[in-house]
Amino acid sequence: MSTESDLLHARVRAFIGASLRALDAESADMGTGGGETARMPASRETFEELANAIGELQMRCVGVVGRLWRARGWSGGWEEMPGVPADVFRLARVAAHPVHEDVAVFRTSGTTSGARGEHAFRTLETYAAAALGWGDLWLLGGRRDLAVISLTPPPAEANDSSLVHMIELFARQQSGGVSFHLAGGALDLDGVERASAAARAEGRRVLLCGTSFAFVHALDGAGGRDLRLPEGSRAMLTGGFKGRSREVAAEELRRGIAAAFGIEERAVVGEYGMTELSSQLYERTLLCTHARHGVYTSPPWVRVTAMDPETLAPVRRGEVGIARIVDLANVGSAIAIQTADRVRVLESGDIELLGRLPGATPRGCSLAVEEVLG
Amino acid sequence: MSDNGARGGAGDADMRPTSSADTRATGDADMRAARVRAVVAIGERLADGRDALGREARERLPEVTGLSAEGVELALSEHLETRVSEEELGRLIERAGRARRCVVVLSANVCTGALRAIAFATATAAEVRVKASRRDPVVAELIVRALSVEEAFGAAGGSATLVSQVEASAGDEVHVYGADATIEAIAAGLDREVTLRGHGAGLGLSVIEEGADAKADAEALARDVAALARDVVAFDQRGCLSPRVLMVAGGSARAIEVAEALSGALARAEERVPRGRIEGAVRAEIARYVGTAAALGAVFEGPGHVVGVDMEPRELVVPPAARVVHVVPVRGDEIARLVRALRGAVTTVGASDGGTARTEGAITRALRDALPPGVRFTRLGQMQRPPLDGPVDLRRVERG
Repeated sequence: MSTESDLLHARVRAFIGASLRALDAESADMGTGGGETARMPASRETFEELANAIGELQMRCVGVVGRLWRARGWSGGWEEMPGVPADVFRLARVAAHPVHEDVAVFRTSGTTSGARGEHAFRTLETYAAAALGWGDLWLLGGRRDLAVISLTPPPAEANDSSLVHMIELFARQQSGGVSFHLAGGALDLDGVERASAAARAEGRRVLLCGTSFAFVHALDGAGGRDLRLPEGSRAMLTGGFKGRSREVAAEELRRGIAAAFGIEERAVVGEYGMTELSSQLYERTLLCTHARHGVYTSPPWVRVTAMDPETLAPVRRGEVGIARIVDLANVGSAIAIQTADRVRVLESGDIELLGRLPGATPRGCSLAVEEVLG
Repeated sequence: MSDNGARGGAGDADMRPTSSADTRATGDADMRAARVRAVVAIGERLADGRDALGREARERLPEVTGLSAEGVELALSEHLETRVSEEELGRLIERAGRARRCVVVLSANVCTGALRAIAFATATAAEVRVKASRRDPVVAELIVRALSVEEAFGAAGGSATLVSQVEASAGDEVHVYGADATIEAIAAGLDREVTLRGHGAGLGLSVIEEGADAKADAEALARDVAALARDVVAFDQRGCLSPRVLMVAGGSARAIEVAEALSGALARAEERVPRGRIEGAVRAEIARYVGTAAALGAVFEGPGHVVGVDMEPRELVVPPAARVVHVVPVRGDEIARLVRALRGAVTTVGASDGGTARTEGAITRALRDALPPGVRFTRLGQMQRPPLDGPVDLRRVERG
């Protein structure tokens, strides 16, 4: 199985590389395009071929996928793949390989019940290819001279965070160094101020990364600190609040970040990622003047479909549904994930994110599902 | 948040029996008992489809509750408190506080829940004010209306009125039945000298232990799943006593067997008592649950129910409250870990062995150890019919 899995990983990386090279050619006039793609092998496979090959492996080797897909009668085709509900990563192991072959396990931030979803990896090479490839295009803009300021814990304190791992991947590509400013659950704003001042002194552009709640804490605690970043800097904003800070509307938060860090609003780039996925989606606002916030672009190795929440059948393009995400980079876990995030797939193929599907209002004194799942 | 008279209760001072007031105390208890009996007598009328009160309830409840007409009939005729033994009445009065006035706040609870809540309030105070749920006011309105002309209630000093606001002053008790957030919001607006009893959301757990031998087990299983189906069907599983999770002894193969048998029993029950209407958000939760259960083990579906199995449970999944049961194979030594996250939410345990400490099996015994005091243990088929010995949910009352 490991040989088959290794081959599939290699084929997916080749597909990622080929996809990015094709986009590089298309987007040359936008000044994007990076070095990552040049190192990736060529691929002539189609999305469908690769998805089917991965699906067949997972049917055989990933218990939860096999049970779900047999129950639904999957016999081929990425569009027919039943999405494994994201909750399942909290309730069972979702991996084609045994525990002793894990090289990394990323965990979700947990629910009110305290349980955390787990995404185990036998290799992180494909994750890196996907994260760096798409991030390079829409967040880094092909640059290699950025300093990274991260409002997250350092890897040593959060080695099971996919977000921290991704930021570390970004930082390794950059020449400006990296600093992490969340330790023991507390945000170190003095450190952020010092890092900002150092970047200003060097005239070095910054990639500022953080979750929504970390940014809210930063804005609430900024006081009179000078957090301005040099021109050309950008911020990556990801994730929800999950009760860790007051909730702030996306527009207001973006405006606050732009004002506090002295960057343009369009340089505050929304990222959509999940522990259960290996790929990410980005807003294109940094590089496309016509792009708008709230609309995300998915990489060519990912397909997002809006599904009817009651029937889990695809809705028509332009209608709102919950996102089923088919991610080729999830070679060793579940290629198709069913989320509870409401989306609209636009004519352009871009994805408008509309927030989480609300839970049902309890009609009696029965415990609501959301009270347990958090 | 306060409960069980943990704060306030000043109004009780002049009601405590003293050496010179034994007669008065006895008389007071008699008055309380008479008021509770008057409420129970109204329960009898509501349960009777030939009585004008019962007829009106049957006409109005399907629309406001969303239950099918058969579901409403089942609730009124089999789950309404229509009798109370002297022993139960004694316990109910003992559990009640002593207040000058009692305000009862009802959410869109199970439709018959108002009766017990009002009965408990009349054991607490002579003057009862009822704030009914806007979404489901029917039974509360009918009881208050009937009490206002009930001679026995008036003779016992009772008065009951419907109110639209929660207004309470020092010495009063407020009983809130609803979501935890509702209880907290009401508590925040109350005077510190007002006693608050909150009864929040909850759920029931059910247990099927292993039989002595295969033949006896097969017969017992058919009996047990039929009994459990009765518990699930009542109120379409919306009550805080409703079983949402079934723990099965004997491993994953037996859990599958039990789940399939339960699905059959629910299908048969569905023919007699169809599930009522469910909103889109619940249908969406069911769709998500079905996917999750299919990935974790197996799913058995009928037109009005779902039974899912997690063959190797890491934690307990709470399925949507719409005749959906989550089945898990368990061993006694796993119970403490599995119920940890739900510990405070469990109101009742229904067990195949009868739920009596003398006869119970390993899972039930382990649940007794793992769950806090106040959880009701009973046998399958009786989870939705607790004795009228206090509030339906004893968790908070029993906890200091």
